[in-house]
Parts: sequence; C-alpha cells; structure tokens
Amino acid sequence: MAGARLLHILGRLAAGAATGPGPARLCEVCAEVTAMTGAGIMLMSGDVARGSVCSSNPVSALIEDLQYTLGEGPCVDAYRQDRPVLEPDLAEPGVSRWVAFTPRAVEAGARAVFGFPLRVGAISIGALNLYRDHPGPLDDDQHADALVLAGVAARAVLAMQAEAPPGMLGAALEAGSDFRFVVHQAAGMVSAQLEASVGEALIRLRAHAFALDRPLAAVAEDVVARRLRFSDTPAPGQIGPGDHPT
Amino acid sequence: MPKEALLIRTLVELADSLVDDFDVVELLSLLADRCVEVLGVSAAGVMLAAPEGDLRVVASSSEAMRVLELFELQSDEGPCLDCYRSGEAVLLDEDLAAVEGRWPRFAPVAVQAGFRSAHALPMHLRGSVIGALNLFAPHRGALSADDVAAGQALADVATIAILQQRVAAESRVLIDQLNTALNSRVVIEQAKGVLAERSGLSMESAFEAMRHYARNRNLRLADVARSVIDRTLAPGALSAARPRRPS
Repeated sequence: MAGARLLHILGRLAAGAATGPGPARLCEVCAEVTAMTGAGIMLMSGDVARGSVCSSNPVSALIEDLQYTLGEGPCVDAYRQDRPVLEPDLAEPGVSRWVAFTPRAVEAGARAVFGFPLRVGAISIGALNLYRDHPGPLDDDQHADALVLAGVAARAVLAMQAEAPPGMLGAALEAGSDFRFVVHQAAGMVSAQLEASVGEALIRLRAHAFALDRPLAAVAEDVVARRLRFSDTPAPGQIGPGDHPT
Repeated sequence: MPKEALLIRTLVELADSLVDDFDVVELLSLLADRCVEVLGVSAAGVMLAAPEGDLRVVASSSEAMRVLELFELQSDEGPCLDCYRSGEAVLLDEDLAAVEGRWPRFAPVAVQAGFRSAHALPMHLRGSVIGALNLFAPHRGALSADDVAAGQALADVATIAILQQRVAAESRVLIDQLNTALNSRVVIEQAKGVLAERSGLSMESAFEAMRHYARNRNLRLADVARSVIDRTLAPGALSAARPRRPS
C-alpha cells in the first residue's frame, strides 16, 4: 500500500524534524528503509553530474565519486534514461556496461547497485543510488520503497533550496552536500595554465584523473594546492613525468 | 477501534493523501478530526503561519472550535500563540477557569464555550515553528505522555507533508533556482581559479578581489566572474581594485 510506505518514510524523516531532515539524514533513511548497505543521492542537470547531496557511508561516497569522475554508472544511467537501473550482480553482470566504473566499485565492496531517478513531476534532478555488499535483486517491497524514497528525496532536496536568497544555494545544501567546487577552481587554474577554455581544462583534469585512477576532486585539490601543474606539451590523457607529484 | 490502530489509520490516511495532489487544508482537517478520535480530546485545530508570519486558522474539528481559535488570534493570547511564540508544547495541567491571570481574555471565553483544558503542540520545521496543533477538552487535566507523543507524531508528519506539498507545487521554480545557484557558483569558482593562477592569489583573496570589484561597480558577482573567465576583464584591474592592506 503506497500510503503505508510513504507513512513509514515520512515518519523516519519526521523523527529528525527538530533539526530538519538535512542531507545526511536523507541518505540514512534511504539506506535504512530499503535495508541496503549504503545509499547516496547525486544531483545532475543537463546531462552533467553536479555533485553529491549525501552518502551514507564511505563506499557510497566512492560510488558517487566514481560516477562524478567517470561520467558513467547506475545514477548517471537512471538520470539519463529516466528509469530505475538495476544491477543485482555487479561482479558478474548480465549485461556488460560501465567498463570503468564497475571494476572500481566491485573492488570497493559493492556487489549490487541500483539507481533511481529523483523525479519531481516530469523533471528529474538527479538519482538515488543504493548498493549492497552482496549480490541479489531488490525484492518487490524494496523496489517499491526505493521509488517512493526517490520522490520524497527529490522534494526534500528542493525543500532545502526553498528558503535560499536569490542566486544562492540553500543553507542545508551548502553545509551538508558536496558539489566539488574545488574541481571548478582547478579548472579555472588549468585554463590559465594552458591558455584554454575552462571546458577544455575540465577535460584535461578528467583525463588525468582517469589515467591515474584518482578521484577528480583529489586531482583538483593538487592543482589548487599548486602541487600539480598542467603544461601544453602532453596531449589529453598523456601524462608527462613532471605532471604529477611524487 | 483501539487507540494504536486509530493512530496508524490516521497516519496512513494522511500519507495516502500525499500520493496524489492533495489539498493542504483537507489534509489538516483530517488531522484535526483524527486528533479528536485518537487523543481523547473533544476538539482540535491547526494554525499555520502565513508567509508574513502571523498565524491563521487552517483547520478545525468543529465550528465552535474554529470560532474559539479565531477569538484566540483576535485577542492575541492563548495556548496556541504561546506555543507558536515559544516553540514549546503548552500543556495545561490546571483548569482553564483557574488561569485567567495567564489569558484574561481567552480563558473566560474558552470556559464559556465548554472547555476546561487546552493544549498546543508545535509544528517544527528546521528550527523554526510553522504552526501549532491545538487540543481542547471539556474536562480539566493533563494529556498523558502517550497522547503527547502521539499528537506530536501527527504534528510532525503533517509538517513534513505540508513541506513536501509546498515544494511539489513550486517544483519548477525551485529546480530553476537550484540550477541557477549552482551555475553561478560554478562560474565564480572557475574565475577564482583563473585569478589565483594569473595573479598568484589564494582562492580566498581571489574571491575577495572579485567581490570588491563587483560591489564598487554595482555589478553582479557572477557577471564579474564570467568576464574574468572570458578574459574581458584583466586580472590587473581586479588587483588594483583590492582594498589596500595596512603596510
């Protein structure tokens, strides 16, 4: 019964009502209600990952980070295809997909991953990511819960934006979420280093992160700390010996 | 029906009404009616703060209750107002007839309307109070701890439901606002990086320089940031605009 499901979820969220259901509580509730190992919520717009609203544990954080860095994974697909994306056995997938994401996620301990679009009305603003440390499909209850949770989470994210001054992010999102602003700072620096556009700079940063198998944000932090500079010589993806700190 | 089952039925009804596009007033009227059944009170009502901050009567379990709540607002005193202003539950142990010192205008009218006890539970949202749930009974006496907990659970679920509904109604605007806020933030962060690289500034100083420049010329920060990124604004112009540090 849809109402009972929603009641249960709102009741869990209401339990944190004194301080307001901030980003962290949202992901905890998503993981608890579906009995998953972890949950994360990614915000996306115009085909691009914007950052992580929350993640309930370090593996969930990594699953979001991989998708942010690599541009592929269950959340990315759920958002783009606007439907649930289910991979009950990530180590032995029925369909081979996410060639860069999958081995890294499996290595981190994810054995089943599920993505659900964060839909409000006809518009999707991101995706809910659920993972489990052992393989197996979602049962009907878990699937139905995840659909309701994704809707509640989408509204909850917008609620955090509701009282923000014009042009500003909502305070709860600003404080509790991770929009990887350091990546954009680094893109600005690299664009000046290369005399290139910030778009090109971002591609170079991503290529570097991918080639060295590092999170994009970690590479960006090195750039901002001036431990890493990009020069014109190596083509995208080719990393010169002096390009990375020891 | 036993109390527990009634409470669950109420919560499920409230939650069901959320699935479809629901009417907040309808939802809160349902809440008021169920409070009467579940909590052993004879009347219940919900007051919500209007955007300007003053309370409005949104739902009442009976016409007599609605009139009394309107009087409470007019006379600017009573349990609901105390609850809304303090953010704390107002649980009256004494007879309403004995608290005329506290509410000199409201108490006699409430007693005349047949009530001897009055309670109010706050509807909290992110540290602020958006309204209150009023509970009245014809006999004096405190609410049991169980009733207070059940009443607060109903008030909390209603609060989240109201929030979710408000957000759904404004979702397009809010999605636009969120994307605009993120886009301008991204542009500002990129420009900080460009300046930091070109002028050797820290990220913080780069931000301060842009903000100072924007303020002095009455420009939007995001527009200044765009000019930095597309190189139409030279880093030197910004450094010159920076406030001088005491030497």
